[in-house]
Amino acid sequence: MDKAELKQKILEVMEAKIKKGGKTKIYLKDLQREIPGANPREIKNAANELVREGKLEYFSTGSTVMFGLPGVGMGLEAGVEKPEE
Amino acid sequence: MSEIKKHDTPMVDQLKSGPWPSFVDDIYSYGEKHKKQCAFDLMGQLELSYKHKETHWKHGGIVGVFGYGGGVIGRYSDQQEKFPSIWAFHTIRVHHPAGKWYHTAALRKLCDMWDHRGSGFVNFHGSTGDMVLLGTTTEQLEPVFFDLTHQFHWDLGGSGSNLRSPACCMGKSRCEWALFDTQEIDYELTMHFQDELHRPAFPYKFKFKFSGCPLDCVAAIARADLSFIGTWIDEIQIDQEAVKAYVNGELKPNAGAFSDRDWGPFDIKKEVIDLCPTKCMHWDEKEQKLYINNKDCVRCMHCIAVMPKALKPGKDRGVSILIGAKSVILEGAQLSTLLIPFMRLEPPYDDVKELVYKIWDYWMEVGKNRERVGELIQRIGLNRFIVDVMGMKPIPQHVRIPRNDPYIFWREEEVPGGWKRDIKEFRKRHPA
Ligand code: SF4
Ligand code: SF4
Repeated sequence: MDKAELKQKILEVMEAKIKKGGKTKIYLKDLQREIPGANPREIKNAANELVREGKLEYFSTGSTVMFGLPGVGMGLEAGVEKPEE
Repeated sequence: MSEIKKHDTPMVDQLKSGPWPSFVDDIYSYGEKHKKQCAFDLMGQLELSYKHKETHWKHGGIVGVFGYGGGVIGRYSDQQEKFPSIWAFHTIRVHHPAGKWYHTAALRKLCDMWDHRGSGFVNFHGSTGDMVLLGTTTEQLEPVFFDLTHQFHWDLGGSGSNLRSPACCMGKSRCEWALFDTQEIDYELTMHFQDELHRPAFPYKFKFKFSGCPLDCVAAIARADLSFIGTWIDEIQIDQEAVKAYVNGELKPNAGAFSDRDWGPFDIKKEVIDLCPTKCMHWDEKEQKLYINNKDCVRCMHCIAVMPKALKPGKDRGVSILIGAKSVILEGAQLSTLLIPFMRLEPPYDDVKELVYKIWDYWMEVGKNRERVGELIQRIGLNRFIVDVMGMKPIPQHVRIPRNDPYIFWREEEVPGGWKRDIKEFRKRHPA
C-alpha cells in the first residue's frame, strides 16, 4: 500500500466508525487493527501527515494522544466552553 | 486593569506558618505585584479542593501547537464561575538542554515572556526533565511557541504517547566519574528522534535517560523505559599510595562531604571493605595494600565514592543498557531490567539507534494501548523478549529479581468508606 492509499484508508476507517455510531477519537493501535496489511510506523507517519494537512486532528486524554476527524465529537476544548463575557 | 478579586483561603493560608518558605506566600506576593487575578483564583480553587478533598482540575483535549502532537497539556477548572481567570490554565512543557545548563540571561528572558503570556508560574523541572510553564490560555499557545522557537531557540518537550524529552546527568561537563558523554548522546538522540518526540508514535510514553556512572544521578534505573548507565569492563584503577593516605588520615574520605560531624578516624575495613556488596575487596594490614577481585565487582561505586583520590573506574568504558522501568500506572511500579551488560559507545551511536528501532518496532506492533514496554515484557516474559524479539542469547545477567513494587494497592473493603461515589452529588460540586 503506498502512502496516498494508506491515508485514504485511514480516513475511510475513521468515517466508517463514525457512521456506525462508534468512537469519534481513536488510538493508533485501533488504526493498526483496522488496517492489518500496513506497518505500524507507516500508519503513524500517514496519520501524522493527515494532521498536518488538517484532515485529522489530535485529541489528548491527558496521558496519551488520539486521532479524530476535525469538528466531529468532542472539540479540543473538551466539555469546557468559555463563559460568555 | 480591572480590580483584583481575592478569595478567603484560611486553610491555604495555614501553609504559610510552617518553617519552610511557602509557595502560598510566593504566589500571593507575585499576584499582588503583577496584579495577576490567576494567582488569587488558583489559591481560591486550592482552598475549595482542600474543603472538598477533591481536585477541581480537568485535563485533556488540546495536545500542542500547529504540527505538534505533544508538549501542551490541556488544563481546565471545573469552577468557571467562581474562578474565571483559570478556566483554561494549560501546561506547556519546554525541552530542557542536556544536563540542564542555562545561562541566566536565557532564564530571565523566559521569565519575562511567561510573565507576559502566562501565569508567571513555572516548575523547574517536571519529573521527565522539562521546564514546565504552568497556566495559560488557548489563545496564548501559538505566541508562546513562536517566542520559544524564534527568540530563545528552545522547543517543546514530549507528552502523550510520544517519545518524552530525553534526560541526562551533567556528566563530563562537571563530573569526574562520567564514563561516557551523557550530554552528547542525549543531544544526538533528541535530534535524531524529533518526529517521535513531537508526534504520537507509540502505544504509550517512552523515556530515555542517561547516567554517566552507576551512581545514576538521573535515576534512570527507576524511571526510564530505556536507561543508559555508564560502566567499565576492566579493573578499578588503584593508587596504593593514596589508599594509604586515606588510611593514615592524610586525605578526607568522601572528599570531606561528611565532615560536619566528627565520625572518628577513617576505618577502611568498616567504611569500605565491609560495605562492598559482593565482598570482593581486601585490605592487607601488614602489606598496607588494597586488593580487589574485579570479577566479583558489581560496579556499585561505593569504594570509589569514599576514596576518590585512590580509586577510579576502569579505563575500558561504555554503558549498561536496561529496559522497562516505570511508575505506578497501570501494572504497578517497576525498576529496569538489564538488557545489555556492556556496550561501547561511539557517535553517531548507530548501534544504539538500531537497538531502539528494534524495540519500538515490536512494541508498536504488539503493545496494547497504554502498555509501557516494561509491561509488555512482563506480559510475554523476559525470556521470550530477549530470545525472540531481541534475537539475543540469554545470559546470567538477565535476571528479574530482586524487584519490588513499592506501592500498595488497596482493596475497596480495606479503605474506610470504600470508593463508590454518588454521581449526582459529585456533579453538584463539579459541573460537567
Ligand atoms: S551519574 Fe555519575 S557521572 Fe553522572 S553526575 Fe552523577 S556521579 Fe557524575
Ligand atoms: S565498586 Fe562496589 S562492588 Fe566494586 S569493589 Fe567497589 S564497593 Fe565493591
